[in-house]
Amino acid sequence: MNNSKVMVKIRNLHKVFGRDLHVLDGIDLDVSVGEVVSILGPSGSGKSTLLRCINFLEEPTAGTIEVDGVAIKAGEKSKGHAAKILDIRKKTGMCFQAFNLFPHMTAIGNVMEGPVTVLGQTKKEATPYAEELLDWVGLSDKRDEFPARLSGGQQQRVAIARSLAMKPKIMLFDEPTSALDPELVGEVVDVMERLANEGMTIIAVTHEMHFARDVSTRGFIMDGGNWIEEGSPEEMFTNPKEERSKQFLAHIL
Amino acid sequence: MNQLNSVAERGIPPEALEVMRSIDARRRNFSRNTKISLAVMVLLLVLTLVVLGLDFKFMAKWLKFILTGIGFTLMVSVLAISLACVLSVIGALGRLSRNPVFNAMATLYVSLIRGTPLLVQVYMWYLALPQIGGALQDLGFVGIQKYLTLPAIPAGIMALAVCYGAYMTETVRAGIQSIKIGQNEAAKALGMTGAQTMRRVIFPQALRVIIPPVSNEFIAMVKDSSLVSLMGVWELSFRAIKIGRRYFQSLEMLIMVAVIYWVMCIVLQTIQERIEKHMARGERGGNG
Repeated sequence: MNNSKVMVKIRNLHKVFGRDLHVLDGIDLDVSVGEVVSILGPSGSGKSTLLRCINFLEEPTAGTIEVDGVAIKAGEKSKGHAAKILDIRKKTGMCFQAFNLFPHMTAIGNVMEGPVTVLGQTKKEATPYAEELLDWVGLSDKRDEFPARLSGGQQQRVAIARSLAMKPKIMLFDEPTSALDPELVGEVVDVMERLANEGMTIIAVTHEMHFARDVSTRGFIMDGGNWIEEGSPEEMFTNPKEERSKQFLAHIL
Repeated sequence: MNQLNSVAERGIPPEALEVMRSIDARRRNFSRNTKISLAVMVLLLVLTLVVLGLDFKFMAKWLKFILTGIGFTLMVSVLAISLACVLSVIGALGRLSRNPVFNAMATLYVSLIRGTPLLVQVYMWYLALPQIGGALQDLGFVGIQKYLTLPAIPAGIMALAVCYGAYMTETVRAGIQSIKIGQNEAAKALGMTGAQTMRRVIFPQALRVIIPPVSNEFIAMVKDSSLVSLMGVWELSFRAIKIGRRYFQSLEMLIMVAVIYWVMCIVLQTIQERIEKHMARGERGGNG
């Protein structure tokens, strides 16, 4: 791992909500290009907050975050701060538990929105790649449907395509299958797996076993705002070192 | 019927068909009976007017003269609501702004305007503003008075626009705040700036929420536009009241002008429903 290129480097990350809700407690994390990281942990352990700190949807209270060479120190007041945050957001794609598709735009409209509004492409320029992405997630036939007429699994796949349209260097998945009916989980995990196979760097907060155990290259278990277990997914699931990990895994396996 | 038959072919038992038919009939009967009730009530109203011995000839004679006032009414209302829309968007952005000065300005605007009667505001624009101009002129702002002395119609439009803009500021703010936080986050995650998020994601969705209350405001404004008659503008109600007083037949004139306003508002309501239907595209159950 030492000789591979670093995509994400997090040092001593803290997040305090309000005055005393200490959600992240000094997290360190290194993710290399092409790695697929799964983060597990009980509800309220800080998994989502960590993910949301990486693209600054939450403002970290202390520590540094570096994504693809852009480093931001928590609380820095430099002039380029806002620009650096935008820069990191353009390099990262994010998928949410609740999909958060734009309901007033069609599927293709959602996918084109980033390139058109953020990158300044014309609709004509953005269309071919958006169509290609919709095809890649298997939704060419839903091109002109509004999100309300798509199933949860279809919505999440459009959301993935929407993120990919920005050609991100890394994808963040925040419990992407937790809001889905069981029979729809597979189609979303399938897309995530293909994305991993194509070499995308991924950090996923997920309890989806197949993805966490078979697709991930590394697994983490989080509790109380920091890691309690780290290692190869295989080892983590079969032979966890910590007692707390064992308890947690017993609940979800 | 065709629909029911095809359902039967799909293997739904005959006794279910009977229930479906009665549910259907119940719905149809309700809407039919409502329409009949409405018609009867309108008929009764008209009958009452006939019994009261209303002078319909007199009304017909002056109808054209009074209708000429619609132009002023509509012009004042449309211009004022357009301006109010602009003011309300700026006001709402101010109310949500993290800039303390901008935020305080918007809060003051809403509080001050909502806290004073429209009638006072109308006179303020028409009668008090020239006086302010005079005072400023004395302080050395040469020539300013003539810009602050507004003719009746512009003064009326300004008064209505500023007043309704304040009420609508709160409508627009509520509309913006009704959009789920996830929409904001999804836009941010794509790399949009705050302004891009507002323009592309939040505002278009908020618009759908605020169309009904804004139409409501517009309908109210059409009627409040009669306040410009205070400044001697020959709009609908001013004409009706003048003629009514001159011939001691105020009842006829007032009823006539009320009906004219009513019809105008029914038309506006129909337009509102059309717009709402159009905006509902993409909503669950909407047809794409």
